[in-house]
Amino acid sequence: MSILKAVINAFRKTPDTVKYPYGPLVIPKGFRGAIVIDTEKCSGCGLCVRDCPAAGLELIKESRQDYQLIHYPARCAYCGQCEDSCARGAISHSNDLVEPTYDSDEWVVVLKHQSGD
Amino acid sequence: MISGLFYLLLFPGLLFQVICSLFFEWLDRKLLARFQRRVGPPWFQPLADLIKLFSKEDLLPEGANDLVATLLPLISLSAVLTAGLYIPIAGFTPFSFEGDLIVILFLMSVPTLAYYLAGVVSVGVYSILGGSRSLLQFFSYEVPLLIALSGPAIMSGSWSVEQIMISQGSMGPFILFQPVGFVLAVVGLIGKLKRDPLDIPKAKSEVVGGPLTEFTGAKMGLWHLVMNIQAVLGIFLLTNLYLGWTKTFNPLVAVVVFIIEFLVLVVILSGASAIYARLRIDQLAGLGWRILVPLSLLQIGFVILMGI
Amino acid sequence: MNKISIPIGPQHPLLKEPLTMNIDISGERVLGGTLRLGYVHRGIERLAQQKTYVQNVHLIERICGICSHVHTTTFCHAVETLLGIDVPIRAQYIRALMCELERVHSHLLWLGIIAKHVGLDTIFMHTWHDRELALDIMEEVSGGRVSHAANQIGGVRFDLSQEQEAMIRKTVNDLSDKANTLMDVIENEPVLQARTKGVAPLSAETIKNYCVVGPVARASGVDVDMRRDHPPPPYDRLTFNVITRQDGDAWARTVVRAEETRETLKLCHTILDEMPDGPVSVRAPRKVPEGEVVVRSEAPRGELLYYLRSDGSENPARLKVRTPTLPALNLIPKQLSAIHVADIPVVMAGVDLCIACADR
Repeated sequence: MSILKAVINAFRKTPDTVKYPYGPLVIPKGFRGAIVIDTEKCSGCGLCVRDCPAAGLELIKESRQDYQLIHYPARCAYCGQCEDSCARGAISHSNDLVEPTYDSDEWVVVLKHQSGD
Repeated sequence: MISGLFYLLLFPGLLFQVICSLFFEWLDRKLLARFQRRVGPPWFQPLADLIKLFSKEDLLPEGANDLVATLLPLISLSAVLTAGLYIPIAGFTPFSFEGDLIVILFLMSVPTLAYYLAGVVSVGVYSILGGSRSLLQFFSYEVPLLIALSGPAIMSGSWSVEQIMISQGSMGPFILFQPVGFVLAVVGLIGKLKRDPLDIPKAKSEVVGGPLTEFTGAKMGLWHLVMNIQAVLGIFLLTNLYLGWTKTFNPLVAVVVFIIEFLVLVVILSGASAIYARLRIDQLAGLGWRILVPLSLLQIGFVILMGI
Repeated sequence: MNKISIPIGPQHPLLKEPLTMNIDISGERVLGGTLRLGYVHRGIERLAQQKTYVQNVHLIERICGICSHVHTTTFCHAVETLLGIDVPIRAQYIRALMCELERVHSHLLWLGIIAKHVGLDTIFMHTWHDRELALDIMEEVSGGRVSHAANQIGGVRFDLSQEQEAMIRKTVNDLSDKANTLMDVIENEPVLQARTKGVAPLSAETIKNYCVVGPVARASGVDVDMRRDHPPPPYDRLTFNVITRQDGDAWARTVVRAEETRETLKLCHTILDEMPDGPVSVRAPRKVPEGEVVVRSEAPRGELLYYLRSDGSENPARLKVRTPTLPALNLIPKQLSAIHVADIPVVMAGVDLCIACADR
């Protein structure tokens, strides 16, 4: 009865459950969390928008100096392709969990708003 | 009159049995969780579940007999609560009489029959399948269970649980003389309670919820209560019949010993549900009639020979 | 007794993904059944024609939630073959390592499911926790627990550091211990064997007629494994044993998968030992030259086939995916006769259903 042994061992050890909201959660270093942008580096080229597989990014471009980079977290697949495609290393995944929302349609994050001057 | 009401409603009647059953459910779930490396529910979870079930909408499919479906859990509940009045708790027996063991066993098989009927009146395919399975299972475990439980009665020469406990006081606990009978009684009890590993009538991956698939709300809550009270009473009964040598002790010691024995039996039941897989219904029938019945007959023969 | 028909699915505790089986029973005997699929059809093959190759890597990953990495690996391999680029050896090894870890967690998941279906919830909980270790490795190195996004066309996205390699070795050792314990438990569990031995046996001939692949075929004595028969790189450099059994019943399928878990864990060590240094990706052009290619690889459930046709643009002209589950699903109605109702879960779980893969 080796299952008996396994059961007794399990009983003697502490449970394996992660008590997340009431206890700490270990997030690995490479975890792909919320999208963040380094506004200094971003030039509004649109490479990330072209390669995004989930239409989670949008670039509204009036001119070279006047553009908005918009992120839709509810559409985003958190695949990391934008981070890969960006030639200047501006857009990236942070390590933070993405908080849920009740209204996914209205969930719009303006990553960079450059108005011409 | 007042003492009668006290016995019926508080101890050893309704309130005590409900509290015991909720405690049993929590302990069982907690132990099973720890065996499976989980945390398990907090202590109030069974009560919260019960309140939640009683406050939910009560639905039955079209064509089901609502009146019968409502009566069945109520009849089962009153049967098990009545059985509870006759089972001694730590030697405390307000209503003992000669032959109460037979009454207890009869009352405790009422829920199984009601369980089968619940499957039939609630018209779902899974319910009917589960209902017929519960009857098949009934025929497999009930015979060895009854034969095994008659062992203590034959040994003490009385069909009264109190008398059996008194003769254990002089002879020592019957588990020493009838270990096989005790094991058979535990197996039979698991079958009676339809617990893992003998949960064939309500096996989730085969027949969804068994006879109770279509039940919701308060009726489901009552069924849960019936099952848990039945489990507690079954454990009390086994404790009295096989380990009840504390009748003549100091009451305080008797209570402590009784609680320890109760806990040990709960651990045995939870452990069995953790380490055994579910049998097929034909395998269970084979086990019951080919192995358990001959074993129980052997045990009875041994008891009779000892008496001579 | 009268014949009654019980529906299994689209929602049923037995199923983790939707499909419908109408099963005719008489008492506890199963007479036969019919199968209906298509609840999770998402039109991925059509969608793939509208997206670029770069985007498709992420789309393909979402075909399946369990064997996601092997899908992208096969797709990338197909595109790279058309492009004619050589993927760095280290990238191939990292891909293979992820594939093998995926096989480990897929097989452990399956073992848990079969245990749950015969009422052994303890084994289910224990295996699923052990499976988390494999998932933890993959999350640690790639950033995603299920959708790893490890592949890109021309290589892999990440490199393994020294610490990560040491961590993987340690965890794989840990997993090997647990897999040994698990095998010990399963082999000494009488009721599990009573429930699975002799249930719905399949002959090698039936397997071949229905084109069934993977562990189900290997349990019936059909010795197929794409890693050995038509090895995609780097499997041509690796040596490993292919586990087969002759009985073809549910117990043989259990043993094949459990043994394969152990063998795969050994293979993980081999991959880590033989992994060379070097770059992990090369630049790949966005446009793929005209042509067509068929690529095969071994997913946890069997042979996975990708057919890709390119018309020289950024988007594929046609992408056809043949997943290993579909032929196994065809075999279910055949297995569902002359068994008990209680054997239905064992039969259904025995072929390791992945409906999302089959429907796409």
